[in-house]
Amino acid sequence: MSWTSREAPKKSPYAQQVETEMLATLEPLGRGGRLWIAALLAVCGFALFAYITQLVNGLRVTGMRDYVSWGLYMTNFVFFIGISHAGTLISAILRVTHAEWRRPITRMAEAITVFALIVGASMIIIDMGRPDRLLNVIVHGRLSSPILWDVCSIMTYLTGSFIYLYVAMIPDMPMLVRAAEKRGRPRWLVQLYQALALGYKGTPAQERFLNRALGAMAVIIIPVAVSVHTVVSWIFGMTVRPGWHSTIFGPYFVIGAIFSGTAALITAMALFRRAYHLERYLTDDHFRKLATLLVALTLLYTYFTLSEYLTTWYGGLATEARLINLLMGASPYGAAFWFWAVTGLFIPLGLLIMPSKRSLGAIITASVLINIGMWLKRFLILVPTLETPYVPAQAAGVTPGYTPTWVEWAITAGGFAAFMLLYTLFSRLFPIVSIWETAEDAGTTEKVPAAPPRGRFARPTFVPIRALLLAAGLGALAIGGATRVHAQAAGPGDARVALTKEVRDDEAQLVATVTADGRPLKGARISFSVKRMFSPMTLGEEVTGSDGRASVPFPSTLPGGAKGELAVLAEIVSPDRLAGMRGEAITAGARTVRGEPTSAGPPRALWSSRAPVGVIAAISFLLAVVWSTYVFVVRQLVLIKRDGEEKRISYVR
Amino acid sequence: MTMGRREFVRAGLLATGAAATGLAARNGAEPAGDGKNPSGEGPPETVALTPDGQLVAVREAKPAPAPREDWTEIRRGIPGRKWVMVFDLAKCDGCGACVEACSKGHFTPADREWIRLYKMQDSPELAPYWFPKPCFHCDNPPCCKVCPVGATFKRDDGIVLVDNTRCIGCRFCMAACPYSSRVFNWTRPTNPTGPGHVATGPGTGLPRRIGTTEKCDLCESRLRESQLPHCVAVCDMNAVYIGDEHEDAVTNAAGETVQFSKLLRDRAGYRHLEDLGTHPRVFYLPPVGRRYAAPGEPGAETGDVNAHAGRKP
Repeated sequence: MSWTSREAPKKSPYAQQVETEMLATLEPLGRGGRLWIAALLAVCGFALFAYITQLVNGLRVTGMRDYVSWGLYMTNFVFFIGISHAGTLISAILRVTHAEWRRPITRMAEAITVFALIVGASMIIIDMGRPDRLLNVIVHGRLSSPILWDVCSIMTYLTGSFIYLYVAMIPDMPMLVRAAEKRGRPRWLVQLYQALALGYKGTPAQERFLNRALGAMAVIIIPVAVSVHTVVSWIFGMTVRPGWHSTIFGPYFVIGAIFSGTAALITAMALFRRAYHLERYLTDDHFRKLATLLVALTLLYTYFTLSEYLTTWYGGLATEARLINLLMGASPYGAAFWFWAVTGLFIPLGLLIMPSKRSLGAIITASVLINIGMWLKRFLILVPTLETPYVPAQAAGVTPGYTPTWVEWAITAGGFAAFMLLYTLFSRLFPIVSIWETAEDAGTTEKVPAAPPRGRFARPTFVPIRALLLAAGLGALAIGGATRVHAQAAGPGDARVALTKEVRDDEAQLVATVTADGRPLKGARISFSVKRMFSPMTLGEEVTGSDGRASVPFPSTLPGGAKGELAVLAEIVSPDRLAGMRGEAITAGARTVRGEPTSAGPPRALWSSRAPVGVIAAISFLLAVVWSTYVFVVRQLVLIKRDGEEKRISYVR
Repeated sequence: MTMGRREFVRAGLLATGAAATGLAARNGAEPAGDGKNPSGEGPPETVALTPDGQLVAVREAKPAPAPREDWTEIRRGIPGRKWVMVFDLAKCDGCGACVEACSKGHFTPADREWIRLYKMQDSPELAPYWFPKPCFHCDNPPCCKVCPVGATFKRDDGIVLVDNTRCIGCRFCMAACPYSSRVFNWTRPTNPTGPGHVATGPGTGLPRRIGTTEKCDLCESRLRESQLPHCVAVCDMNAVYIGDEHEDAVTNAAGETVQFSKLLRDRAGYRHLEDLGTHPRVFYLPPVGRRYAAPGEPGAETGDVNAHAGRKP
């Protein structure tokens, strides 16, 4: 029916063999395979039930609480993002360096990347208290938040990995179409293969476009992958918490990711080799070569671990010492840490260090141990730090702790099952060893609104008072006098307190003049104060002299209103019959602090709603470089399809 | 001089209720008449005030759906203010009244106080002291830095608030806060009910929402009414002060207003963990010449102050 099925390109016997054997892996599953998928589905189903329980009841059903507010989900997130590095490393780095032995394992590696990323990103959504508000991250996203950096880089990585995985599958697609048609597979499957084939038939032009696309992707995906695990580490590194706020966290996590990714790839290779009998392609030599890499990575990760914890321990800062005690001392975490150090670093090292002793069994054992260990290590990076906050919780009578619940364990198991399920299904639809590549091998601050109070969030009543003060102060200034009597209180027997500001011998003073029955009152105790929001602030007390006057130095250093106006009070303390009588005045000459509010909006700062220009520029630049490369690659795919269509027309003619 | 708290709250409820009944207005509300249902059937009508000042009749039996909260105004802060708080550790006797009053005022569950009382002793040789700790409302807030959606934000008046209608519950702010000041709604919260008694809406922390963070809001809705925050007002020791930095004055429960800068200078005021660079707006006066028994000393308050905050008679 289609041109591809009629194509019969000449092939070497080896290529023919690869094609036949790999297409055979796509045959319908036997009983064991179906049981495997059923088991994985069952685990995923149980995890779904656990997640629904969590959605209904809230995160209370987890073991997380206010101190240890992140737990297994976050551990899984970091772990899966970590093993996603398997794909990039093996495929891209080896492709860029033309390491020919990579060919049979590239697709297996790239698929790990895609599925691990999907599961890892889901873990973050599962961890959210309000997954229904996920879109807020786009609608209200703040570029200063490391979470936004993660969203950007993980989405970029996921897109790139998809493209990369797919581009490298295109030349296999025509073979899949032929095989599916021949074996009478469902029609949708044939159509799927056909659509994905893009009319590829290996013309020189198509090969050129394909190699261009693969070359560009292989180069760009490496920095993207490095950035992903760097910003994952920065979720922790950008906080100031002991154990997290470390300058080596970026590289430490990147090395850890490649380390666990390589181990995951070896484990996957071992499983596929056994399940699909791929001994011919996944040779012992492949395992040994990867084992050499794994030794180097084990040593590197040991070195980074030593650097991180030795400096922390030696420095001995109080908060960090508390963490080190918990993490490595006599506690369950200490037991887990040393268990990891022995089984996750030293035993694998012992198994792999001597090239002559690297049996296949040893390599696979080491890889599995490393995978378990790295999951544990992620947990140990997270939880003990959350248990040792700066202000010790114990001093408030709280003992922070964390015991994961069945919900968290079920969802964790579900995450692993989902990963294996996706991986298995992928290997059912597409050959897990790249046929063509393997075959080739043989060859604001707003202005204060003047409007009246609106709704229930009316401006409080002290605002009008301030406006009054301001107006009075401005009036005082307009008259030009530094002094103005604002109010006089009349008391029993026509007593009055007049309050003025006077300048004598270059010294400003607040002067209260008390008169009773028209005559100056001697011996009255006057308390001077300044009006403040909640209550008056006392300046001092003085007794009136024979002229009825008492004074205190004018508080010229106190902040006043926008124009330096200050509301002052003088109150009679004694004699008792006049106590409580006041004189008030608005005086000028105080410090101006407040000034007029600016309408410039909030400042540019990391904490502000307006991100620093540098942050915006850096993120925009990086995203632009990567995404324009993706556009270039997609353009090559369009060219492949166009070329295929041209050839098809000429063929039909 | 000011609207009483009750009236304020009630007016507010009426206004928000009415705002919510934009729907109700479409739904048969009309200018207030004699209070009877003009159609003669169905429930009687009541009068509500719309935000633009009109009185409309609303069917009583149709409770308005929860209003869509508008946080624009609340994000700006109280105009012209810059709040500061001072705790005088020499006066604090560890009674826990602040914890109790705060929890009561904000309806916080027992294990999730917004202010906590710590029995501190930095090392065995050093003096023990009581350490009440609310949110520090930092000027360089680590929580606001990391929030992916701007649900927690810093206002011009210095207060750091949480918009629980926007929070996605990632808990990054909790991990980033070096002072453990934030708590989370792990479960479906029980919100206080009864109209007229409780202010709800932006800035009040109420209603609580499942899967969101919350923390001390410096009693922003009380400050708007020129009232002292719960923890300040309740302190019999007069150990807690609040004020406006622009006025260089802070006030305690006794109504004593003192010069903020002078208080810090004379009493060697400090901020907790100053070297973290977070610039808290909450200051402490060291427990020099302490007037009350420190934690562990004879006569000191005992028991779990954070859980029940029992006061001595």
